[in-house]
Amino acid sequence: MIPELFFAYFAFAIVLFSIIVITRKNPVHSVLWMLLLFFHIAGLYLFLNAEFMAVMQVIVYAGGILVLFLFVVMLVSLKEEIKVARFIGAWPTGFTFAVALFIVILMSLRSFVAGPQGKYTIDLIKSESNIKVLGKLLYTDFLFPFEIASLILLVAMVGAIVLAKKRFKG
Amino acid sequence: MPGTYIPSEYLPVLIFIIIATAFGLGALVIGTVFRPKKPYPDKLMPYESGVTPIGEPRYRFSIRFYVIAMLFVVFDVEAVFIYPWAVVFDKIGIYAFIEMVIFIGILLIGYIYAWKKEAFQWD
Amino acid sequence: MVPLNWYMLLSAAVFTIGVFGFLSRRNIIIMFMSIELMLNGVNISLISFSHYLQDMRGQILAFFVIAVAAAEAVIGLAIVIALFRNKATVHVDKINEMKG
Repeated sequence: MIPELFFAYFAFAIVLFSIIVITRKNPVHSVLWMLLLFFHIAGLYLFLNAEFMAVMQVIVYAGGILVLFLFVVMLVSLKEEIKVARFIGAWPTGFTFAVALFIVILMSLRSFVAGPQGKYTIDLIKSESNIKVLGKLLYTDFLFPFEIASLILLVAMVGAIVLAKKRFKG
Repeated sequence: MPGTYIPSEYLPVLIFIIIATAFGLGALVIGTVFRPKKPYPDKLMPYESGVTPIGEPRYRFSIRFYVIAMLFVVFDVEAVFIYPWAVVFDKIGIYAFIEMVIFIGILLIGYIYAWKKEAFQWD
Repeated sequence: MVPLNWYMLLSAAVFTIGVFGFLSRRNIIIMFMSIELMLNGVNISLISFSHYLQDMRGQILAFFVIAVAAAEAVIGLAIVIALFRNKATVHVDKINEMKG
C-alpha cells in the first residue's frame, strides 16, 4: 500500500512538473520547476533501491547542470522575453507528433516480455550498500566506458573553454 | 519478481524535507495573510538607499560566471565517478587503482589546459 | 508492489513531454531543458528495469547517461552563448541564416 501511494504521488508530481517546465513564459521559472522535478525523480530512485543514483541525480543534475542553465538564462536574458510568443508557429504539428509517439510506445508496451532475472537481488544489495556493489561492477567489468567517460569530460571542458573565451584581438 | 522494497532508513530525510518546506512556505503565507497592505507608488519603487533609481537594474553578466559553473560541473562529475571507487578500491585489486590514475590523469590534462587558458583567473 | 508497466508508462510520458517541448518552443534554452527531460525519462526506465530484473547494468548505464548528459549540457550551452554573441537572439525562428 505504502509504495503504491508514494509511486502515485511521485508519478503525478513528475508529469505535472514536466508539463509546467515546458510551458512557462519566463525561463527562470522553468529552471526552478525543473529543480523540483529533479528532486522528485531522485525520490523515485530511492524507492527503486538505487540510492547512489538518487544522490548522483541531486549532485550532478540539480546541483550542477541546473546552475549552469540558470547562469546561461541570466546571460542571455532579454527584458521582453515574457511578452513574446512562447511556442513557434508550427506547434500543433509538434503536439500531434508527440501524442503519436506516446501512442506508439503504449502499443509496444502491450507485447512486452521481461528478460531473465539477474542475480543482484534486493537482499544482496542491502547486505553491502548499493554504492559498493556499483563500485565493484564499474571498475572491473565496465572499465572501458569509464575511461571513455574521462575522455568525454575532457572534450567537454576543452570545447567549452574554446567556445566561451573572448575572441582573438587583431 | 522482487519483493517490496521500502527505503525505511530515509524516513528522517522525508520528515526533514516536509518540515523545512512547511517552515519556508508557512513563513511566507503567514506574512502575506497578516501584514498590512497599503501600497502607494513611492513605496513600490525599487530600493536604492533613499534616492530615486536611475537606469536599468541589469548589468552585463560576464562570461566568467558560465566558465566557473562549467568547470564546476565537469569536476563535479569527476568527483562523483571517484566516490564508488573510494569505497571499494581496496577490494578490486591493483588494476583498478592504475585505471583510476589514468582517469584522473586524463582530467589533469584538461585541468592544465584550463589553467594555461586562464579560465581560473577572475580578472 | 508497483508493477513494472507503470514505471514504463511514466518514463514514456516524461519522454513524450520532452519531445513536445523540444519541437515547439522558441527559446533555445527551453529546448535544451526538454532534452534533459528526455534523458531523465530514459533514466527512470533504465533504473526501474534494473530493479525489476535484479540486474545492476541498468544502474550503470543510467550512471553513464547522467555523466554524458552533463558533458553535453556544458558544450550545448557554450554553443548557445556563442550563438547569442553573434545573433543577439535566442529565438530559433530568427536563427535561420548562416550569413553574417
